[in-house]
This record gives sequence, C-alpha cells and structure tokens, in this order.
Amino acid sequence: MLWKIAWRNIWRNKRRSLIVLTSIIVGLVAIVLYDSLSVGMIYQMLENQIGSYVAHIQIHKNGFNDNRIIQNYVPSPHKVDSLLQKEKFVKAYSKRVLSFGILSSATNSSGVYLVGIRPEMESRVTKIHTYITEGTYLTGKSHEIVIGKNLADKLKVGIGDKVVAMASSLHGNIGAEVFRVVGIYQSFSSQFDKIYIYVNLHDAQNMLELEDNISEFALLLENSELSQNVKNRLSTQLGEEYEVLTFQELLPMLVLQIDVYKESIFIFYAIIAIAMIFGIVNTMLMSVFERIQEFGVLMAIGMKNSRVFFMVLLEALILGTVGTIVGFILGYLIYIPLSHTGIDFAMFSEGLKAFGVGTVIYPVLTLQSVVSALLVIPFISVIGAIYPAIKAIRLEPINAIRYV
Amino acid sequence: MEIVRTEQVEKIYQDNGVPVHALKGITLSISRGEFTVIAGPSGSGKTTLLNLIGALDKPTSGKVFIEGEDIAQKSRNELGALRLHKIGFVFQAYNLIPVLSAMENIEFTMMLLGIEEKERRERALSIMEELGIAELANKRPNEMSGGQQQRVAVARAIVTNPAMVLADEPTANLDSATGSSLMDLMERLNLEKGTTFIFSSHDPLVMERGRRLIHLRDGKIIDDKMVSEAAKNTE
Ligand SMILES: Nc1ncnc2c1ncn2[C@@H]1O[C@H](COP(=O)(O)OP(=O)(O)OP(=O)(O)O)[C@@H](O)[C@H]1O
Ligand SMILES: [Mg+2]
Repeated sequence: MLWKIAWRNIWRNKRRSLIVLTSIIVGLVAIVLYDSLSVGMIYQMLENQIGSYVAHIQIHKNGFNDNRIIQNYVPSPHKVDSLLQKEKFVKAYSKRVLSFGILSSATNSSGVYLVGIRPEMESRVTKIHTYITEGTYLTGKSHEIVIGKNLADKLKVGIGDKVVAMASSLHGNIGAEVFRVVGIYQSFSSQFDKIYIYVNLHDAQNMLELEDNISEFALLLENSELSQNVKNRLSTQLGEEYEVLTFQELLPMLVLQIDVYKESIFIFYAIIAIAMIFGIVNTMLMSVFERIQEFGVLMAIGMKNSRVFFMVLLEALILGTVGTIVGFILGYLIYIPLSHTGIDFAMFSEGLKAFGVGTVIYPVLTLQSVVSALLVIPFISVIGAIYPAIKAIRLEPINAIRYV
Repeated sequence: MEIVRTEQVEKIYQDNGVPVHALKGITLSISRGEFTVIAGPSGSGKTTLLNLIGALDKPTSGKVFIEGEDIAQKSRNELGALRLHKIGFVFQAYNLIPVLSAMENIEFTMMLLGIEEKERRERALSIMEELGIAELANKRPNEMSGGQQQRVAVARAIVTNPAMVLADEPTANLDSATGSSLMDLMERLNLEKGTTFIFSSHDPLVMERGRRLIHLRDGKIIDDKMVSEAAKNTE
C-alpha cells in the first residue's frame, strides 16, 4: 500500500515529476553513451594494438622486451614450437625477427622497426595483410618489403621503388639489403605506419646473420581472457631462459589508461549525481511541503515515523528507478545501432589516428557499466530524499493539521 | 468504565514568546459509550483539550490517562501506537489521503495495524455498506462531496473498533442538512455499537445531539451536565 501511495503521489504533480524524470533520462542516456563510447575507444585501442602487432602473448629470450637487440634471440625455437603445438588455447602463432634499423630511399631515410615474418603465418595472427592499400602483401619472394603510407610519403617512394634497409647484425656488422616496395599499408595509427616495415623472414635472417634464429613468437589465443592462464603454463614449461608476456604487460600505457578511465568515469558519475541530487531534493521538499496537513493526519492516526520516512524515500526511489529504466532503455536503443555501425569521427580523424584508435568507434557497453548506470540514480534519489524525509517526520501532527 | 481521565490539566502555549494559557486546570472523566460534546466559544480551548484526550499532545502540567495509561510517560512513537490502537480521529478537513480511494483510505489504518489485505478488504466493504457509502468505494477524495468525505473519515475512524472516536468540529465545513445526517450516522453507531464519541464544536447542530455537554470558557469547565432525552424533547 505504501508503494501504491508513493507511486500515485509521483503522478499527483505530473509536470514536476516529468521534469525530474526528463533530467534523469537525459542523464542516463548521457551516461550510457559516454561510457560505452569511452570503453569502446579503449577496447578498440587495445584491439588495434593486439590485432596489428602485439597479439595476446609474446615469447622472447628473457630480457628481450627491455633490450630489443638482435643478440637476444629465442634460445630454442623448436622447443617453443613443439610446446605451442600442444597448447590448446592457441589459435595461431607467428615467428618474427625484429630489429631496429634505418630505411633509406634516394631522397630520405628514417628510423624503423624491421619485422621479418612468414607472410602466411603472420596473416593468421595479425591484420597487416588487410591494411594494404596499394600493391600487395608479401608473397614470400626475396627482397620484398611492405611499408606504411606515412613512411612511403616521407621517403617519397611508391610501389616498385627500391629502398635500402640497414641494421646491425648478430656479429656486429652492418647488415644492409636492397628491397623493392611491393605493398603500402595504412593501419589505425599514423605512428605505427611510420615505424613498422615488413620483409620476409629469411631475408631478415640473412641480412642480420641470424641463420635460423628468430626474435619472438606472437600468439593469438581463442580469447584474450585466457592470456594469464596460458602465460602461466608456458612460462613454467619454458623456464628462466624465456620471457612470456601478456598483452597487458606489453602495453602498460594502455592498461594504465584503462585504469585512469575507470577512475574518470567515477568523476563523470559524480557530476551527474550532483546535478541530479539537487533536483531530487528540491522535488521531494516541495512534495513534502505541499502535503503538510496530509502528513499531520497520517501521524495523528498513528503512522510511525519510520514508515513516514520510508514513504518519502520510496517516492524518490520510484522516481529515480522509473527515470533510470526509461533512460536506460532509450540509451540502449541508441546504443544498439551505433554498436553495429560505429560512430565515424572522421572530423577528428587525424587526432584519433595519432592516438591509435581509428576513425570509426564502436561503443561497447560492459556489464559493469550497465550495473553502475542502473544503480547510481536510484541510489542518489534515496540519498536526496533523506533531508525532505527528515523534514516530514519532524512535523508535529497537531501543528501540521492546523497548518494553512 | 472509564476511558479517559484528566487531572488538573493545564496547557500553556508559547506564542512567539508570549505564554498563552489555553487550559487552566481541567479535571474530567469520560466513560465508555458516551456521546459527549465539548462546547464553548472560539479560543476557549476545545481543540486543545481534545488533542490531549487524543494523545496528540502532552499537558504542561496535570495528568491525562487513557485507559489508565499516563500519556506523559510515553514517547512519540508510543503515543502514535496508542492512537493507532485506541483512538479514531475525524478532523475538520483533510482527513483522507488524496491519492487513495475511499476503500483504500479505510484500509489504511488497518494496514498500519498489520491486518492482512483480504481481511482489510472485507472489513472495509462491510463498514462501507453499514454506513451506506459502498458506492464511494473506488472514488478518490476529490471526487467526493465534503459530506461524503466526512463519512469515509468516520468509517476509517471506527473500522478498527477504537475505544473512542474524537471529532474536532466534524461539521464545520458542511451545510446543515449534510452535517445533521453525519451526526445521525455517528449517533446510530454510538447506539448500535456502543462506540464512544467525543466532539468539539460550537455548532448547535452538534451540541443539541450531545448526551453530555461540557462547556468551556477561557480554558475552564464552566458546566458539565448529562442531557436527558426528556430535556432534549422539551427544547
Ligand atoms: N499551537 C498553538 N500555539 C499558540 N497558541 C495556541 C496554539 N494552539 C492554540 N492556541 C491558543 O490557545 C487557545 C485555545 O485554542 P483552541 O484551538 O484550543 O481553541 P478552540 O476552542 O478550539 O477554538 P476554535 O473554536 O476557534 O477552534 C487560543 O487562544 C489559541 O489561540
Ligand atoms: Mg478548535
């Protein structure tokens, strides 16, 4: 019966309740969209990093990640190979040679990461092959090179042009090799495009005097959540000589960013909450003051303070909950199509590319976001109703009834 | 059997620092089954006395006993519980909860008493039939006339079988025909069920119905007499 009273009281002053409800609904739509877009952006950054190069797990000789020199090659690729064949969560993996070097054309030169890959193997782990915008991906023939668009522009080279790559070899010599540009790619990040260049594995091994050695294994798992699990198993099996790193460890800045985001969303919630709480306090105060005689009668006939208090909170709770549900449904209906089509931020495209996001952002609503979005405003409403409820129970029945 | 007793009750209000001596030593006793009117001019202290008898307020000095219990000893919540269990109220106006139908208003006190829904329904329905207001069951207060609202208020007041029903100027907002039929109703309940009624009023309509008439002036009882049927008839 108290629910009934509270519910009907909300509709007693329709206009006032609708104003509060509208503000809650707008707030909730804003929360849903802002949160899902931010999460989507971070996920995308992460997915881009994972999908273009990092993969879920990398295996190196211990120390390679801190000191990426060619001398730190994987001690026994065969051992790793045979372990990975047995590991059930590994979807695909790629073997790479990685070295810092310089790429020069007739007009210019630039510092690069030279990546030696087996084209077929790499294409099952990362998406470089899909990023090709001119020419082709590596086919496996000698002296092929694929470079990023930004780098091609800087070096003023196009498909078919020759470039020279230089890097110090295993034995301390200068390894140099002439390559012919077969493909130009464009990834999500202009930063990435400037630095990473791809050649066939055996060319890289020759140039760097590595023989059959490689620098790293990049593993794609069935799903990213298995990373820690697989890492633990592999690192015990491989022992001290190796380092097995998850993408979280390989991308500390991004992980930090996620943490920062998680805190910043609380600030966002706090702002929305503060904006809401005044509306709720005001509405509930007006609602209490309009009903002073009514409260007087209720108390006179013996309604307990605690019940009167509860009744006022209930009214606010219902208001907050109704607004939340409607706002969430609305936000969700906007979110659904956007999560499929993505939102094209072409206007800010350059900034986002430098940021490593890509121009189309697909919002992602996580369960955690849903839960906090659904709880925050009802909670705030109850908090906001406490003061008005105290006002209500402070009323003396005889004075309240006399009140005009 | 005695329901209420007051002993040398004084009530002094503070009106912006100025003490207002509303009751100056009231001693009286009210028994079960009475149909009593507290009469007197405006400002004489009728409402103040009724509030004390109804445990809505505590005296400045003196004692008020309701069924033998001293109300001065009780907390706010205990007084609330006492009112809920023992006293029915009919106020001058704003008696009903606007968002509830007549039926739900009558159920409300029973809800506070923890009576379950099915029984509440049945009792509310039967009392409405008894008072001839069954057709109002689903109406909200703003869809009823003043007289109808007061009838619903009476129904709500008596549905829990309280020891007494207090009515402060119940007819003040009604025309005389409506007021008089409301009094008929309460008189009937008093005669048929033995419900104790205590009114405050300066309305002759109410005063002439009282079987006991307590006259107040300036916070004192100046007259307290039983009115016999015979005396009534000769008037
Ligand atoms: N809460 C209060 N604060 C200050 N003075 C009060 C208060 N309530 C009543 N009084 C004063 O006490 C006196 C008695 O008031 P009370 O309301 O009991 O009279 P009444 O007989 O019911 O009058 P009426 O017929 O006008 O209702 C009056 O002088 C009134 O002004
Ligand atoms: Mg009065």
